[in-house]
Amino acid sequence: MMTDHAISLANIVKSYGASTIIPGLTAELGGGEFTVILGPSGCGKSTLLNMIAGLEEVSGGTIRIGNAEVQDMAPKDRGCAMVFQNYALYPHMSVAANIGYSLKVAKVPKPERDRRVAEAADIVDLAGLLDRKPSQMSGGQRQRVAIARAIVREPKVLLFDEPLSNLDAKLRHGMRKELSQLHDRIGTTSVFVTHDQVEAMTLADKILILDKGQIEQFDTPNQIYNHPASVFVASFIGSPPMNLIEVTGDGQNLTDTAGTVLASLLHTGPATLGVRPEKLRFSDTGIPFEVTYREDLGSHTIILGTLPNGQEINVATPIGDSRVGADRLMLQFNKEDLHLFDSTTGRRIEGQV
Amino acid sequence: MIERSNSIQRVAAFVMVIGTIFILAPLVIAFLTASRSYEEFVQAGGIEFSVGSHFVANIREILFETELPRQLINSFVISLLVAFIKCSFAFLATFALVFYQSRLNTLIFALTIATVMLPLELIVITTYQVVANVAMPLNWLLSILGIANLSEWIFGWRPEFQLSLLDTYIGVAAPIATSCTSVFIYRQFFLSLPQDLPKAATMDGAGPIRFMIDILLPLSWTPLVATFMFWFIGGWTSYLWPLVAASTPDAQPAIVGLAKMANADDETIPNVPLLMAGALFVSFIPVLLIAFMQRQIVQGLNLSEK
Repeated sequence: MMTDHAISLANIVKSYGASTIIPGLTAELGGGEFTVILGPSGCGKSTLLNMIAGLEEVSGGTIRIGNAEVQDMAPKDRGCAMVFQNYALYPHMSVAANIGYSLKVAKVPKPERDRRVAEAADIVDLAGLLDRKPSQMSGGQRQRVAIARAIVREPKVLLFDEPLSNLDAKLRHGMRKELSQLHDRIGTTSVFVTHDQVEAMTLADKILILDKGQIEQFDTPNQIYNHPASVFVASFIGSPPMNLIEVTGDGQNLTDTAGTVLASLLHTGPATLGVRPEKLRFSDTGIPFEVTYREDLGSHTIILGTLPNGQEINVATPIGDSRVGADRLMLQFNKEDLHLFDSTTGRRIEGQV
Repeated sequence: MIERSNSIQRVAAFVMVIGTIFILAPLVIAFLTASRSYEEFVQAGGIEFSVGSHFVANIREILFETELPRQLINSFVISLLVAFIKCSFAFLATFALVFYQSRLNTLIFALTIATVMLPLELIVITTYQVVANVAMPLNWLLSILGIANLSEWIFGWRPEFQLSLLDTYIGVAAPIATSCTSVFIYRQFFLSLPQDLPKAATMDGAGPIRFMIDILLPLSWTPLVATFMFWFIGGWTSYLWPLVAASTPDAQPAIVGLAKMANADDETIPNVPLLMAGALFVSFIPVLLIAFMQRQIVQGLNLSEK
């Protein structure tokens, strides 16, 4: 295992002229950990990655990698390597030359260069393909060359800029597994930018969810799924996303806009109630639910329907529930599966659930 | 459908044949004329559609009794210079325009386009003044800044520099090369490259110059070769400026020499068969170039596939 190089971002600001992309972001990305930066497009996640790499300048704040303050250093001196979405391989160079280019620029002697290129190629299973040109390879193989090119320099930090989004679904799954195994093996601090929640959930030690340049939540996948810190996180993670219902509490019960009592919680005043589709169960008594649409996905069924106040919600049921065929069902909200959010700020209300 | 595509092919073939005849006819006429003797030509009083017996003799005369062979070397050097200057300047300019973000980019690009709008033929007099004394801008600057007067007052000597590039290869080539049409082609090509390529090179530790030499230059080989050929032929066939800038036969390119041969004597009918032989002789290098390089030229200018 390598020595761990944590990345500390302190009050990072990025603005282009009058528009501010990142208004001030502070986070500590753990050394040796796999951090995924997740967010919708335009949230500033790629900008953040480029600033760590040194491809874009920070407008303010400091970045530390390990013990070094790097925000004013040239990219090559920061010890970062990057894997790009469109591979960005040099089309005229062989695989070996692509992988070894950074070493050549750094004037590493040829014998050592060849040895390290061979090692890196071995790690990503490219050993027999070193003489090929990138154009003769498949998308997955090209992405592996890009990964080998990144790890050959033994960087302190590996940066991934949506590296899987150009691959088809099957290959993406395979590469996800390989990336995860690679990280387990070499243990380099990794930062991975994506808008795909499945990639984030499967790869990450910790996920940093970004919206409009601000951290919505920075936690383990488990915490993010089970304790979303805001309405944004709750609706961003999960497929189908969490059901969000506007409710009012009287200190005893939560009622929706039509006055139906949904759950008995101590909250007083307006709030947003969240409940994941897969946590909802049908029962013989409870809240009436009118089915409008069914999607049978084999492993489970997703049922779209309306509550008495007309709001649409999703329910995911495991296969074999005999009640699924009916048009009118009764829903049961389990108290421990409910999430309560402030209806103005969208932040999670702790302690009520 | 098969029947239809057949008829399309027939029409296409017909158009091709017409076009070929249209393009080849002058060449054939030149060859037929070049194959006669001066006497035969004067007697016939025009073009005759039969092959004469004097072609070899005419070519021999061109080779051994005119300046054209030496002027062919002039043409070659001048055309190489033109093509090299055009391509290298356009390449560097495009590199700066595409990969460096600056507020002035639009202005620089507009100025670049302006050079295309200002052909040499329009500014031939000013260009002549500059080439006749390339130190002229310096003299002008010294005089504007008062340094010239100051020097005259202190040392009793007024600095006036004089350096003429007339009758030199670079003096003939450089003004022809001052047009940046290739910038458009290179720009389109650079923009078609993967966007993250410069970023990847930066992460690999390569600076901008290293990126240009190691990555951009080898990738741009096809458009570079194509435009080089293009400008080489352009330099070869340029006439007005070399005529003005090169006054001695030693410095003139072959095209100018050929034209001079036609106007040598006002009294007699020009030796048209010899002129035609000369024309064929002068154009065989560009024709050979196009014949052998046409695939590269088409590939380099066709940007739809990389």
